[in-house]
Amino acid sequence: MIIEERQSTHVYRQKRLFTKEELEARESLCVHEQPAYCNAACPLKLDTKALTAAIAAGDFNKALALYEKITPFPHILSAGCEAPCEGRCKLCSLGEGIAIRELEAAAVSYGESPRKRGLLRKKTKKAVIFGLDLFSLFLAGELAKKMYPVTVYCAESDQDSLIRAAVPNLPARVQETVAADLKKIDIQFEYSADPVASYTGAAKKYDLICASYEVAKALYPGLEIDEAVMVCREHNLITGKTEGVLGAAFGAKKAALSADRLAQKLDPSNTRGEEGSVETRLYTNLDGVEPSSRIPCDSRDNAIAEASRCIQCKCDECIKGCAYLQHYNKFPRILTREIYNNVSIIMGDHMMNKPINACSLCGQCSVLCPNGYDMAEICKLARENMVYTGKMSLAPHEFALMDMVFSNDEAFLCRPQPGFDNCKYVFFPGCQATAIAPATVRAAYLDLCSRLEGGVALMLGCCGAICDWAGRYEMYEDTVKFLDEKLESLGNPTVIAGCPTCKKQLSRHKTLGIWEVLENIGLPEKAKRTDKPIAIHDACGARGDSATQDSIRRIAESLGCVVEDTPYSGDKSPCCGYGGLTQFTNREVAKKMTDKCLERSELPYLSYCMACRDRFAREGRESMHLLELVYGTSADHCPDISAKRYNRLGLKNELLEKVWNEEVNAVELGFTLEYTPEAELMMDDRMILKTDVIRVLQNLRQTGEAILDEETGLTVTRARLGNVTFWVKFTETETGYLVHRAYSHRMTIQPR
Amino acid sequence: MATEKNYYTIDPEGKLTCMKCRVKLVKGKAKFMYLDNGFPVELPVCPKCGFVYVPEELALGKVLSVEKALEDK
Ligand SMILES: [Zn+2]
Repeated sequence: MIIEERQSTHVYRQKRLFTKEELEARESLCVHEQPAYCNAACPLKLDTKALTAAIAAGDFNKALALYEKITPFPHILSAGCEAPCEGRCKLCSLGEGIAIRELEAAAVSYGESPRKRGLLRKKTKKAVIFGLDLFSLFLAGELAKKMYPVTVYCAESDQDSLIRAAVPNLPARVQETVAADLKKIDIQFEYSADPVASYTGAAKKYDLICASYEVAKALYPGLEIDEAVMVCREHNLITGKTEGVLGAAFGAKKAALSADRLAQKLDPSNTRGEEGSVETRLYTNLDGVEPSSRIPCDSRDNAIAEASRCIQCKCDECIKGCAYLQHYNKFPRILTREIYNNVSIIMGDHMMNKPINACSLCGQCSVLCPNGYDMAEICKLARENMVYTGKMSLAPHEFALMDMVFSNDEAFLCRPQPGFDNCKYVFFPGCQATAIAPATVRAAYLDLCSRLEGGVALMLGCCGAICDWAGRYEMYEDTVKFLDEKLESLGNPTVIAGCPTCKKQLSRHKTLGIWEVLENIGLPEKAKRTDKPIAIHDACGARGDSATQDSIRRIAESLGCVVEDTPYSGDKSPCCGYGGLTQFTNREVAKKMTDKCLERSELPYLSYCMACRDRFAREGRESMHLLELVYGTSADHCPDISAKRYNRLGLKNELLEKVWNEEVNAVELGFTLEYTPEAELMMDDRMILKTDVIRVLQNLRQTGEAILDEETGLTVTRARLGNVTFWVKFTETETGYLVHRAYSHRMTIQPR
Repeated sequence: MATEKNYYTIDPEGKLTCMKCRVKLVKGKAKFMYLDNGFPVELPVCPKCGFVYVPEELALGKVLSVEKALEDK
């Protein structure tokens, strides 16, 4: 059977992955970009988290630069801010929260702001402020920062009395430093003026008229102020009543923005964007964070120590556990948007095809994410979408799909237990168990037959997970239909699955895991007892199936295993790299996934999915499948791709002969084949099967088409098998061929 | 006259022999096709039967990288 390759790169079929609403609903689940709790609490929008990080790194200049962004008077603000951020600090729930205001003051004390170079040009609209209080002082600073020429009419006679009047409750030390702030800001003060009296004559000389609340009240008793924009619309006067230092600073910010709007002859409410503090939906995991106490920020070092207590709140729950997300270093929201865009590209490079195909579809993220973000759903839908629109090349998945075809065709077996027409059960060990551990499967089947009442049929094949993962939905439907018909022919017995993924895939039928059956009927007598400490790796196929996870642990413990708890076990377990066909589409990511599994423990790994068992063994870890312990049989050690096929076919033929007394005729090739060790390794790496080589050489014997390379002395021949051209380099032996090298390509080649 | 573009050229230099026709392969015109895209090349070709030889280095190098690029189109 051949799976059809897509026709062309020039296909213009398109199907939307999600509606805009569906996309946004998914994206909004990711809270990674939500502001930290402290940042969200600040109406001035100070990047508190970054400021703390800068101080923790000893960079007070950077910290000051961040702080100067939000206020023209850093000394006043840092001395008097009521700091609503501090109460929101996540550390408050454990011990003492970060002393944020003190850190701001430390930034102001120890940081140096760079000398301003290149003067910005002053704006042509002129601003005036009548009367001085903290609000109007902040406003003067904000307007000066926006490059409006600012004049302040105040009753005070000089700068010192002005500062004392504006900031009466500040310590003398801070009042002195405010003078330093004022030096940096270009504000014209008209001292010893009567602000109320000056208003009538002076106001008309300016474009933007502002007043302290006291002056405004004196000018217009009973005036109405829109507090949201700090404007009295009736008199076109920028003013407002504020409370406290932060209130004055925030009021001045709102007022300065209104000044901008009024300068453009716009309504002050026009397009202001988001102002003030906000709610955040951030999630921060405090596991492993110890409670701690405040350190007074009375020196540089102490400020650094206090800032170092900050845990830099962020949500990266998914990425912490997932090698795939780490590899692409993208958060689900970004990844989803890029995948969505990728699917919409009609022509040109689809940069996200690789990430779409590299996800193991294991669903770990949906458990780790506080909001259940499910990249598996998105990647699988994207694959199905690409298959539908003809944009999915066969290359990344073809080997796995052809392997599935092999499982459900040549190596497929479906037989009732001898002596039964209809069986109560059917054992479905799964394609990987038969490929990697045929002796274990045989032992398990014979055991089930001997100890279960009502007959146990056997079905050797693939549950359909392979084509489901590949997004080949039509092939999947055909597989479901095929398996369902076979199960019906057995009288719809209860499926005893040997693999948690098969169990999940076949859950439309009555399904048990073999582990549940074994717990029920007891372990066989020859079960291999051990007192080894082991780490259990939960299969991604058993995510959300605590009954299976618990059952495995009980069996392991009853066999004497000392089970070590590891982080990321149970529902949080990562995928071994086989799931989602990552092993076939992206070896680099698959290896990182395996490494991620193995970094949790130094112990031997006990798994209950044969794919996990095999991948761990390949990385050099002592690894076993639960059924190997139960039946005292060993799986093959790292069988190559050809051995995995040979094992499936061999088990089928062996059982046909021994259990069903059916004669199996061996196929005679008519020639012998040998491989150099180098050729065997090369073929496994290049995904070339021995059966491919056989077909190429059979083709040679029919056509005689081959090339002799004088330089190497090797003969080269080739054949097109399906979508791939295979080349084999060989020498002839007395009875056949010795294969030295093999390679393949997907392109066709023809003379022109 | 514009010279025709060749993506790749290999001269067999007399070191390759077609076993079927018992003649030396020569540099000849051939064309790779993949997913409806064509690439003219010059490769060792049997002048009699037209067998086109794709050397291993070419298959695993240039051919593979072009295949991968096209698979993402
Ligand atoms: Zn020839």
